[in-house]
Amino acid sequence: MKNKTFATLMMTPAALFLGALVAYPVVLLVYNGFYDVELLAQSERVFVGFDNFVDALKSDRIRGATSRTARYTIFALVFEFMFGFMAALGFHAMGKRSAWARTVFSFPLMIAPIVAGLLWKFLLASNFGIVNHVLADIGILDSPDSVAWLSDADIVLYSVTFPDIWLTTSFVALIVFAGLQNIPQDLIEAARIDGANARQIFRRITLPLLRPVIAVVLIIRGVDAAKTFDLIWIQTEGGPRSQSEVLSLTIQRRMIRFGDLGEASAIATLFLIVMAILAIVAYMTVWRPADE
Amino acid sequence: MSNTFARPGWMPTTRRLKQAAVTVFVSVMVLAWTLPYVHLLFTSLKPPADAIGIPPTFIPNTFTLENYRRILDEPGMGRSFMNSAIVATGSTLLTLALAVPAAYGVTFYKFRLGRVFLVFALITRMVPSVSIAVPMFSMMRDLDLLDTRLGLVLAHTTVSLPLAVWLMAAFFEPVPPALEEAARIDGCSRFGALRRVIVPVVSGGIAVTAIFSFLASWNEFLFALMLTSVDAKTVPLAISGFNGQYGLEWGAMTALATMFSMPVVLLTLVLQKRIIAGLTFGAVKG
Repeated sequence: MKNKTFATLMMTPAALFLGALVAYPVVLLVYNGFYDVELLAQSERVFVGFDNFVDALKSDRIRGATSRTARYTIFALVFEFMFGFMAALGFHAMGKRSAWARTVFSFPLMIAPIVAGLLWKFLLASNFGIVNHVLADIGILDSPDSVAWLSDADIVLYSVTFPDIWLTTSFVALIVFAGLQNIPQDLIEAARIDGANARQIFRRITLPLLRPVIAVVLIIRGVDAAKTFDLIWIQTEGGPRSQSEVLSLTIQRRMIRFGDLGEASAIATLFLIVMAILAIVAYMTVWRPADE
Repeated sequence: MSNTFARPGWMPTTRRLKQAAVTVFVSVMVLAWTLPYVHLLFTSLKPPADAIGIPPTFIPNTFTLENYRRILDEPGMGRSFMNSAIVATGSTLLTLALAVPAAYGVTFYKFRLGRVFLVFALITRMVPSVSIAVPMFSMMRDLDLLDTRLGLVLAHTTVSLPLAVWLMAAFFEPVPPALEEAARIDGCSRFGALRRVIVPVVSGGIAVTAIFSFLASWNEFLFALMLTSVDAKTVPLAISGFNGQYGLEWGAMTALATMFSMPVVLLTLVLQKRIIAGLTFGAVKG
């Protein structure tokens, strides 16, 4: 058997699986978007062309959900990276002795998003939530009732990011730490001997060398944040007044609550297309140049 | 070193101060990150009324196991845990069975189709789960797989397979081709060589991939929500069910959340080296 044939044979089961259970559903998804069809009566379908897509693009609710998804993603990414970098730099400065810290810090990675969402819902609760009481005791808040994290429509979108940030800072920290460890020490030493101070070393040597790592994390985490469902669902189910409803929740709602398979499929298709474009753009701008 | 001309007596102290500051900083961060979970733990050990008591306490005034008893008495809870375990194990095995040969084919016989496959696998990761769940619901309904463990195993495998292929490809990469050639010379078939010689070499990588796949399935919620209801209900779904039905039973809910996450947390601490290696390997290499 030729090498190539063997290799192809090895890949076939996985390829077939992904084809049947990912590629085919996506085709089905796009297909359903062109029909007016109910979830529970799929044989009675009416072809409506691009109507569902147009409705979705014109819909205020969809636009709102898109804007909320973008804001959620950006907010979460900024803080994950900030905290993650801080932790990674701390671990790096501690060197080998940071092993215990890294171990403990990595445990949030194992927590289910649904559990994290539930936990933070408990922590941020208006009356018995411990966060507000601690903040009030320290003096940051006037009283434990000052801020209603999950029931204030103006801030709820940002409040629901807290568990997400909590979970993924660990991920960012560990990956960036590994990246920092991979930077050859002689480069840093040479720069120091040449008179560079810590900030210059960080900007001119460390950051550029970390670029591929940052790029990978940014793309992975960016996509994941936009896809978030579990966390938000368990905390607010999209409320109050849909102000924490991101696209994944909108789609789920359309499909399950309203049984509108056609429209849900159209929105989901648009979501998929946008994610794909963003991922490609991110790859082209952040990762590729890093290879040079 | 910058302070070459400083008084020799001061140099070590400045460095030691810096080290101490860093240690304090790291300790504070680690503490901040673990406190929420510790609060979850402690709350599960409080009497139900204390769990939502105002003002809230951190350390329980009284320790009790009644929340845990309440959960264990809940009908269907045992089955939910069984379902989670079976589905997670099933999807892990399926993922490995598909990913290991595929990654092997891609790395050992470098050719264009292989790279196309890798990119294809990566793209599937970009698909939002809800986008897949919608058509998958229809598909599973037609195949009579709704609310079955098998259906969920298949769904979960779509989640873990792309990452598994990439991870295994990264682990296969440093294996020298000479190893396979030697096995072939000794009379092994190609597949035999893979099974008997190569796989033991990357067994660490397989372990990491298995852990991640298991975790992905154990913690998964969306597919469980949309594709199961009663028979194949997993623990995440049971947790969310509690949320709606019993609004304020926080004591019981924190107990369930602890029971659900504890095995995984303990597993992490035991296998942390492997897990961190896998994470960093995949990301830094890829």
